[in-house]
Amino acid sequence: MSLLEVRGVSAGYAGEDVVHAVSFHVDPGEAITIIGSNGAGKSTLFRAIVSMLATTSGTTMFEDRDITKLPTHKISRLGLAYVPAERHLFPRMTVRENLLLGAFPARPDPAREEFVFEVFPRLAERRKQDAGTMSGGEQQMLAVARALMSQPKVLMLDEPTTGLAPRLAREAYGALARLRDAGLTLVVAEQQVPLALELASRGYVLENGRFELEGTSDELAGNPDVQRAYLGVA
Amino acid sequence: MKAVAALLDGIVLGLQYGLLGVGLTLIYGLAGVVNLAHGQIAIFGAIMASLLMGAGWAAVPAAIVGILAAAVVLLILDLTLMRAVYRQHGEHRILLGLLIMLGVGFIIDGYLNWQHPIEVLTLRIGGDPVPILGVNMRTGSLLASAITIVAGLALVMFFQLTTLGRGVRSVIQDEQGARLVGINPSSVRTFVFALSGVLAGLVAVTGAMTAPQASDFGVKLTTLALIVAVVGGLGSVSGAFLAGVLLGIVDRFASAYIGQFYTTVILLLCAAFMIVLRPSGLLGKST
Repeated sequence: MSLLEVRGVSAGYAGEDVVHAVSFHVDPGEAITIIGSNGAGKSTLFRAIVSMLATTSGTTMFEDRDITKLPTHKISRLGLAYVPAERHLFPRMTVRENLLLGAFPARPDPAREEFVFEVFPRLAERRKQDAGTMSGGEQQMLAVARALMSQPKVLMLDEPTTGLAPRLAREAYGALARLRDAGLTLVVAEQQVPLALELASRGYVLENGRFELEGTSDELAGNPDVQRAYLGVA
Repeated sequence: MKAVAALLDGIVLGLQYGLLGVGLTLIYGLAGVVNLAHGQIAIFGAIMASLLMGAGWAAVPAAIVGILAAAVVLLILDLTLMRAVYRQHGEHRILLGLLIMLGVGFIIDGYLNWQHPIEVLTLRIGGDPVPILGVNMRTGSLLASAITIVAGLALVMFFQLTTLGRGVRSVIQDEQGARLVGINPSSVRTFVFALSGVLAGLVAVTGAMTAPQASDFGVKLTTLALIVAVVGGLGSVSGAFLAGVLLGIVDRFASAYIGQFYTTVILLLCAAFMIVLRPSGLLGKST
């Protein structure tokens, strides 16, 4: 049984679809990636899945339940967490307060907090610092950490390495690999294709709002089109 | 001596101003609505309390019902007229909210003026004046200030330490972020409207311990609330309290040394200068 299943979802802005009848699924414990360049529709697809944007057609099933029309906060409470590229942290609150809100409405589980600080030790050092004053890399860690506080079943990440130096990007993917190995189901949209294919077992290639290719990470890494467009192989 | 008296009176008045500003700033921060009926709603609560006392109720239950009446007015507004406002975004939302609240203010004012033109809430607090720094302070002023300080501290603790309080701040800072962590901004907004109504009612009731609250005071209270909220930085709770106390002191000094007539003008100038010099207010966000 798929944990998350997207069936023919179309969505866009101002009456014009950006994503056209996209379908994909992710099974429990799986890490998959959605590869695409800027403007391919990755963020639009994610936003439609969590109802930050209305879909024009198609359905989204989460644990066999139709969540297409469910509001964002209810989807989050069901255990489908989304970390957008813009992060949407609470800038004038401390790292700790951001994490506490991640567990809303429950009281945060101390063991969970410890786990999150273990995955992102830098956040533990900065727990009293305001989120808005941290570097881009630290904010990205905090956004993921905040999403983890509610113990989600699926974590969807939109370009988690945007604006990060290569070393930090690798570090971020190291943390994601740890989460995958701990059993968390991951859906990662990326332009940093080598890192994403290393993390994921399967992937989809999104171009102009449509999936042009899908396959295992090895198949995609070996595909000449993917190599030319995303892996910098001439 | 005159200066010390002005300072102490200023603090008493300023705490009231602070509470007034917090009520306005919360709704603005959360819903983008400038509540131009805030003072009228406060006075509506006060007049309800006064009518109940006239009907033989004791002061405390009458005051509580008056405070709740103010909260109910804002609660109903959130659930009805404001729904149209929430569907708008940016400038449109601010303008529509402004106009609707202006209308609500007129209606409440008109109703009070028509039905209860000479009604006044006065809460007499017994006891001899207490000398502080050589100034005799009335017990009513001290009790009003004590209640306001307790309410202010309770608010700060609520926002810092409780899950719901942090939830309110999260919606003010990033509504989408709040949704993503599972918070329903619409419920938070309804709660804050009711809370703002309680604060409005509390201002009128504690105000009645120091001076009579007449049925036509609403517009003046709204003006003060707006000035305090602007100086404190729209959306900032601690900023509103700080601005309230500072403006209360300015108010009393202006009144003592320049003249009562000029005080509101001087307070408005403070707000205007603030917008020019530091648009985000005393403690407001810098963007």
